[in-house]
Amino acid sequence: MYTVFVQTIINGLLLGGVYAAYSAGFSLIFGVMGVVNLAHGELIMLGAFTSYWLFAYFNLDPYLSAPFAMILLFLFGYVVQKYIINRVIGQPHIMSYILTFGLHLMIANIAIKMWTQDFRSITTSYSGANAAIWGLNIPLARLVTFMVALLVTWVLWFFLMRTETGRAIRATAQDKEVARLMGVDIRNIYAITFGLGAAITGLSGSVMSPFVIISPEMGLEYTIIAFCVVVLGGMGYMPGALVGGLVLGVAQSLAATYLNAGVSVAITFIILFIMLVICPKGILGKGSVA
Amino acid sequence: MNFKIDRIILIIFLGITAALAFLPNFVESEYLLRLITVVIFWIGIAGCWNMMSGYTGYIDFGPVVYFGIGSYVVAIAMTKYGIPFFPSLFISGLISGSVAFLVGIPTLRLKGAYFAIATFAFAEAMKQIALEFDRTFSVSFFQGSDGITLPISGHDNSFFFYCVLPVTFLVVLAHYYIEHSKFGYGLKAIKEAETAAEISGVNTTANKLGAYVSSAFFLGLFGAIEAYWITYITPSDVFNVQKTVQMVIMTLLGGMGTFLGPVVGATFLTLISESLGARFVEYYLIMIGGIIIVAILIMPNGIIGSLKIRKKLRFI
Repeated sequence: MYTVFVQTIINGLLLGGVYAAYSAGFSLIFGVMGVVNLAHGELIMLGAFTSYWLFAYFNLDPYLSAPFAMILLFLFGYVVQKYIINRVIGQPHIMSYILTFGLHLMIANIAIKMWTQDFRSITTSYSGANAAIWGLNIPLARLVTFMVALLVTWVLWFFLMRTETGRAIRATAQDKEVARLMGVDIRNIYAITFGLGAAITGLSGSVMSPFVIISPEMGLEYTIIAFCVVVLGGMGYMPGALVGGLVLGVAQSLAATYLNAGVSVAITFIILFIMLVICPKGILGKGSVA
Repeated sequence: MNFKIDRIILIIFLGITAALAFLPNFVESEYLLRLITVVIFWIGIAGCWNMMSGYTGYIDFGPVVYFGIGSYVVAIAMTKYGIPFFPSLFISGLISGSVAFLVGIPTLRLKGAYFAIATFAFAEAMKQIALEFDRTFSVSFFQGSDGITLPISGHDNSFFFYCVLPVTFLVVLAHYYIEHSKFGYGLKAIKEAETAAEISGVNTTANKLGAYVSSAFFLGLFGAIEAYWITYITPSDVFNVQKTVQMVIMTLLGGMGTFLGPVVGATFLTLISESLGARFVEYYLIMIGGIIIVAILIMPNGIIGSLKIRKKLRFI
């Protein structure tokens, strides 16, 4: 009984770590540009597929291919922001939702055309490996992803706080007009921010690839979870994604163990709805409110 | 001048509706009748979204929830309680409207992306509840993913044509009312500057709630009609987020917050998907994605919106 509870909590935390890993980029993009990126899940999908193809053709371990996914997605994100999304910045928010939804449709369906709808997976030597401690099971691949989430949050935080580009990004997020007067090239900063968000999202897709099902249609589901995670943690507040991810992961895990798996999805959305109505700034109260 | 153009458009609209009422007598092909019904159906649904989000600027990402509630109410009323279709239809609208009233009070305080996400979350939560309620509480009410089979109506396509036409007619008429009433000016003021509207004495909460509830009422009716038409519903079908997306895209293509926007957008997109969808099944969604992106980039105000700006007209 006690073991089941502890195991549930551990599963929840590890699941939450995965959530946090792929939601940080969503939060960054929203925080700086106010763009709710509905093509977020597609960035994860592209990251996962990068690892998949490198594994399939060169037998490269997903953890080693992660940097490639990062670079590729950075370039992709940079170009998309610079030539497409930048054009609707400053217009009502709905434009960015619809535009990124259009991107979602295009990317997902072109991917289906290229790679078919097949479900794929990467089977490595450690894919199903568990560390057993005191009768508890800890899936290793998830543990690594959890570590990556912590690392990503920390590096991103450091980057935003301590580097020149990071300062420019924060300045733009706070007041883009004033930032522009101070000599910040807003369009470039936006492109870099989106590239950065895409890069860490691609990285998470890549490190998740050993234990998730990879298919061109996987994206939307992840976008929805990222939504919830980021709202729980506080939109635009970077460490919030970590907190939101862990809270959501534990809540879902508890619901799945003690009620049933379908209810855990319902609970996700109920929590999200109640959270928004009661406290839109997130659990930590540090999110931005439009 | 503007007033005159509006009058003319209203008369043309009434004329078209009157002419449409006789359509089933002349149209031989069942396919054509069905296609026209679907177009009118989507004009109405897109109009419901436009009524709320187009005019107030509050982007509702979960309107499908009221459509789904309508479907489920009619299904449960007919199968579990044996109520005939038309009373059930009316009950659907009322229940959808009441739920919107209760949900609207807390939700409409949110702004921007938060309102959009909250409505989306509510719609998804309702879908999951409809899916899992029975299994969790061991009852047979929503019948989860098995879905509910409604009594086979035995009516032909023209019956549903006559169900859909008056509801869409009312939705478009409501648009005309919004364009020419204090209530409608209030909604537009909320879109432009909510605080300023409030200071000027517009009861913003009541206006938003009014638009939200009436949009939900009509969506409930449409949901009920579709459920009876299709005769088999599942939560994943009637609460499908694709329906929301379609409403948004149609309105946006036509022009948000305009009288003719949903009419033009829904007709255009339905006919496109009917012609392209059948011929290029594999590329259809890629093309829709492309159309959306291009439309947003080159005419963010939609077809009617751009026309209005170019012609400097204030009509519709």
